[in-house]
Amino acid sequence: MQTFGILILSGLTNGSVYALVGLSLAMTYGASRVINFAQGEFVMLGALSTVLFVTTFSLPMVVGIPMVLIVCATVGFLVERLAYRPLVRRGSQPLTIMIGTLACASIMTGTALLIWGPNQLFVPNAFSLEGVTIAGITSTPQQLAIIATFAFLMALIWFMLYRTTFGLTIRAVGIDPAVATLMGIRAETIIAFSFVFSAIVGGLTGGLVGPLLGGHVSMGIMLTIKGFMAVILGGMGSPFAAAAGGIAIGLLEATVAFYGNSFYAEPIIFGLILMMLIIRPTGLLGEWEANRK
Amino acid sequence: MTTPPPLLSIREVSKRFGGLSAVDAVSFEVHSGEIVGVIGPNGAGKSTLFNLVSGLAPLTGGDVIFGGNDMTLVPPHERSAIGMTRTFQIVRLFGHLSVIENVMLGGHCRTTQGFASSLLRLPKVLIDDRKLRHLAMHWLNFVGLSKRADEPASHLPHGQQRMVEIARAMISGPKLLLLDEPAAGLNGAETTNLLNILRQLNDRGLSILLVEHDMKFIMGICDRIVVLDHGTGIAQGTPQEIRQNPAVIEAYLGKRNGDAAH
Repeated sequence: MQTFGILILSGLTNGSVYALVGLSLAMTYGASRVINFAQGEFVMLGALSTVLFVTTFSLPMVVGIPMVLIVCATVGFLVERLAYRPLVRRGSQPLTIMIGTLACASIMTGTALLIWGPNQLFVPNAFSLEGVTIAGITSTPQQLAIIATFAFLMALIWFMLYRTTFGLTIRAVGIDPAVATLMGIRAETIIAFSFVFSAIVGGLTGGLVGPLLGGHVSMGIMLTIKGFMAVILGGMGSPFAAAAGGIAIGLLEATVAFYGNSFYAEPIIFGLILMMLIIRPTGLLGEWEANRK
Repeated sequence: MTTPPPLLSIREVSKRFGGLSAVDAVSFEVHSGEIVGVIGPNGAGKSTLFNLVSGLAPLTGGDVIFGGNDMTLVPPHERSAIGMTRTFQIVRLFGHLSVIENVMLGGHCRTTQGFASSLLRLPKVLIDDRKLRHLAMHWLNFVGLSKRADEPASHLPHGQQRMVEIARAMISGPKLLLLDEPAAGLNGAETTNLLNILRQLNDRGLSILLVEHDMKFIMGICDRIVVLDHGTGIAQGTPQEIRQNPAVIEAYLGKRNGDAAH
C-alpha cells in the first residue's frame, strides 16, 4: 500500500509537469491551430532564468520568480510576433508555421547555450526538498507544490475558458478566426495572448521542476515531446484532455519504472500511444469538447 | 425638407481578380427601414459584392459608405460595433460551441474589453457576462430556439442553424443586416418562418440587404431589387418594375428557364 502511494505520488509529480506542458500546448493550439514546438523551451528558460535571478543575482525567490515569468512572457510575445504572425499573414500552411516554432526552439536553445553553457546547473528550490512523511508516504514540499500548481492552473484555465466571455472568444478564434473577427473579436490579439499565457505557464513549470530535473539547455525538447504526447493521448479537443493525457503518461512511466526498468518506460509508452491512436484516433477524450453541455 | 442620407451607399464598387472583373462599377443605396434584394444569375457577382460590402474581401475600386463611415477604412472587427452585421450563404456557426454561446459571441462587441482590463474589473465583467447571456436568451426566444440553448450548434438541423445565425447577428444591435442567401436549403415551412421573422425585424426599423436565388422569397419581401449580370448592375426598382423589365427577363428569368438553375 505504501509503495503504491509513493508510486502514485511520483507519477503525479512527473505527470503534472507533462500535463502543464500539454495544457499550454493545447491552449496555444486551441486559439491558433498550431502546435508550438518551442513550448518545452519555456520550461528550460524558466529553470535557467531562475538560476540567473536567484543564484547569480542573489534575488529572493519572491522577486526572482516574477522576473522569470516576465522574461518568459516577453519571449513568448516575441515568438508570436516574429514567427507566428508574419507566417500567418503570408498565408502559410499550419505545417510551415509549426516548423517556424521549431526554429524558435532552436534559437532559444542556442541562445541559452551562450548564456548558461552546456553544463547541468543546480536550480534553487522555492520549497523544501526535505522529505515529509504523511501517513507513511514520504514526499517533499517541492513535489507537492508542483502538483498543487498544476491543479490551481487547471482550475484557473477552466474558469477562464468556460466561465468568461473572454474564454468564449478564445475558443471561437480557434474554430473560425474569420467569423470571430466579424463578431468584433480581435483574433490576432487573442492568439498573442495564448502564446504569452502559455509561455508564463512554461516558465512557472520550469521554476518548479528545475530543482528536481536539474537545469540544462537541452531539457526543453524532451518536455515538448512529452507534452505533445500528452496532447495526442488526451485528444486535441481541450486543454483538460491534454492534462489528463499528461497525468496518464506520468503514472504509466512511474509504474513501468517501478515494476520493470525506467529504461523501458518510453518505448512502452510510445507503443501504448500508437495502439491507442489506432483504436481511438481522436485521443482518449477527443470528443469531449463536442459533447460538453 | 431634405431627405435623410441613405444608410448604405455603394458607389462604383469594383472587384477584379487578375484580369477578370467579378464586380464592375456597381452602385446602389439602402435607406433606413428598407429591405433591398440583390439578384442575378449564377456567377453574376452577387456573393463577391456581398463580401466587399461586409469587408471580407478588399475592394479594387469604389466606395462603401455606411452611416457616414467610409467602410474601406473600418477594420472587419469594428464593423459589427458600427451597426453592420452579416450571415453566410453556408451557415458558419461555431459548431462545437453551444447555441447560446454562439449567440453570445455575436454580442461580444458590446461588452468585452481586453484581458488586462477584464482582470482589473473582474466583478463588473462577470456581471456583463451574465447580461450578455440574458440578452442571448432573449434573441433565442425571438427565433424560437430557447429550448435548445445548451446544445452544440452542430447538432441542430440546417434551418434552425440559420435562425441561430440570425439571433447571433441581431444581438449586436445592427442597423443593417446583410443576409447571404438566407433561404438556401430551407424547406417551405422554414422559409415561411424566416419571412415572418425578417418582417418582424423590419417592422422594428431594421434595414436589410439580401442576396437570394429564391425569386418568390425575394419578390415577397423586398421593397427594392438590384439586378446584377456579369458583374454589372443592369436594373433597379420595385419587385413589380423588375418583373416587367425586359433586360432582367432576358438576363435572369429567360436563362433560368433554359439552364434549370435552382
